Amino acid sequence: MSWAGDFPRLTPRNHRVTSPATAAYNCIAWAAEDVDHWWQPGAYWLPADWPEDDFGLTALEQAFRALGYESCGTDADLESGFAKVALYGSGLFYTHAARQLPNGKWTSKLGRGEDIEHDAPDNVAGGIYGAVVGVMKRPVP
Amino acid sequence: MSATATPRGGKYDVKERFRQLAAQWKEQSRHMSNPAQMAMLKPYQQIIGMGEAAVPLILAELQQDPDQWFWALEAITQENPVPPEVVGKVRPMAEAWVAWGKRQGYVAA
Repeated sequence: MSWAGDFPRLTPRNHRVTSPATAAYNCIAWAAEDVDHWWQPGAYWLPADWPEDDFGLTALEQAFRALGYESCGTDADLESGFAKVALYGSGLFYTHAARQLPNGKWTSKLGRGEDIEHDAPDNVAGGIYGAVVGVMKRPVP
Repeated sequence: MSATATPRGGKYDVKERFRQLAAQWKEQSRHMSNPAQMAMLKPYQQIIGMGEAAVPLILAELQQDPDQWFWALEAITQENPVPPEVVGKVRPMAEAWVAWGKRQGYVAA
């Protein structure tokens, strides 16, 4: 599948590639600020005892809850004193997580591909990642 | 080149078939992070369907380019030689599988 087919809303103006491609970590790890693991239920996940065959949205929500995040609905605005992540899903599966940067932009690891900075969570939705299903936040230490 | 029978009685070259399916899967899954979603893709399912014949080819692929072949290897072999301390670390996981393949005779020692 082509870049355009996977991400129909990405344009040259709304994103920038910020790293080379690597299969060492995935988007969930990147959103959790971990570049050493490929996060997946049944292997490397939080909580550690999460069922190995549950790859749904609840798995993703619980992983970020374990990291101290709480739901803030769909509020993706920059909020002083808080870090935010956006969660994505399609059909039965969670598909992606993006993390907000201190400048208000968002950063995503695209599977085994590159990291990108993008203007808004919706920029990587509408294709292979389906829809943004929620935003979570936690206080910045 | 090795050949094997298809369910419909024809013959195909296992290495070439694997190469084609692996390339299709890599392209289709390039931007995916959910291993269940990646494993559901048809080329990946077809590789699992190749059974034991695919194991040495997957291990050779892992040696060259560590990637999410662990689901397929577990499904085919019903083994998991990855030690707990490296779970989630793709390259060490690949190395654990290749070492297992050497012990089992799938990979030249």
